[in-house]
Amino acid sequence: MSHHLFVLSPSDTPLYSLTHQSSRPAPSTTSPLAANLPTWSTSAFAGTLTALSGASSAPQRNNDGVVRGGGQDRHVIQMIANASLDAIEDVMRKENTMYLKAVDKFNEWTVSAFITPSNTKFLLLHDGKNDDGIRSFFMEVWELYVKTALNPFQTAHTPIRSAVFDGRVRASARKYL
Amino acid sequence: MAYSQPHPRLSVLSNSSHSSAEHLSPTASSTRFSLPTAPSIHSQLSTQKVPLNRPGPSIYDRPLNKSRGAEVSVSAFAFLLSEIVQYTQKRVNGINDLERRLNTLGYRIGVRVVELMLWRSESSSKTPKREVRLLPVLMMIHSQVWKAVFGKAADAIEKSVENADEYMIIDNDPVIERHISVPRDLSQLSCSSFTAGIVEAVLDGLGFPARVTAHSTPLAQFRSRTTILIKLEKSVLEREELFK
Repeated sequence: MSHHLFVLSPSDTPLYSLTHQSSRPAPSTTSPLAANLPTWSTSAFAGTLTALSGASSAPQRNNDGVVRGGGQDRHVIQMIANASLDAIEDVMRKENTMYLKAVDKFNEWTVSAFITPSNTKFLLLHDGKNDDGIRSFFMEVWELYVKTALNPFQTAHTPIRSAVFDGRVRASARKYL
Repeated sequence: MAYSQPHPRLSVLSNSSHSSAEHLSPTASSTRFSLPTAPSIHSQLSTQKVPLNRPGPSIYDRPLNKSRGAEVSVSAFAFLLSEIVQYTQKRVNGINDLERRLNTLGYRIGVRVVELMLWRSESSSKTPKREVRLLPVLMMIHSQVWKAVFGKAADAIEKSVENADEYMIIDNDPVIERHISVPRDLSQLSCSSFTAGIVEAVLDGLGFPARVTAHSTPLAQFRSRTTILIKLEKSVLEREELFK
């Protein structure tokens, strides 16, 4: 199981990102949408899905013998995260909770989000169900973010480069994800 | 003279960590912020446990709740604010510009106020809330934000009669202006623009973009009475309509 965390500024510029490989066993595999399509399906849709299958969390080997997936395809991960921003914007206008669980889905990826009071967004791409763990993880990242934001040299748009921040986020990812 | 060059140890750290810091940055475009690269965790572990150039614990070791009830001396604050206003005044032409700059400075405070204040009230809850309705947010600014920043709630909150998109928060004796007497030729100036910036940041963060200005509206018994005028953007009112 892999997790991808993105911290986005109010204007959606990325401030921090983290890829975390969980040591926990993957849940029973939910077959990707592509596999559910009949084999004779030749729609453009199916082609797109094949192209995007690199986003699968389980590494898979394609015809060229190149291993894809396993969270290696960063561009696909980033595209899914970007695409979920619309859904998040919709939901955060009417929901008054900071933790928005499973706001968006793509194939087997689920996107959960956390909106801080100053409109910084934490996005987490995950492929398992772990609501409580993710909430605890977000709460710890929030605390770390508040501490970062209180630094007078930090603005809402400066990327977070602190090594301590990175270390702490990794530690709580190991703890909860 | 000795400080004209960066400290040698600093430059060694930032050079050695250059390659490992790159994969930490979210995008390759982060260089446009032209920030010095921070040492990454790897280089820090391999070189030394505690960086010698930074004594004491890092900000991440300090609990956020410890300073909850802490207060700052008003005289120290008044002195600092006086310097801020003088510094700003030397670099602007006109009252509007000065107020805009004070507003910008206040905005930086407001972003932190809203984040820290809500962390303190919500982080212990299982479902932290982020208010989406306008009136509760205005009430929160009137009472909680004012308490967090000035130690007392504001005196009144009013809705404009003429314009549906205008709200006013009134403070009879703003702490900011307690030690300020505005000269006659600047009579239009209200140093509470600083406060207006704080309010604007709080509203912005919670998703209520607005233009916030400060106006002095003295009364006989309250010489420095100030009105913070909130002019909400159209989108806010449209969203509020949808909730009904």
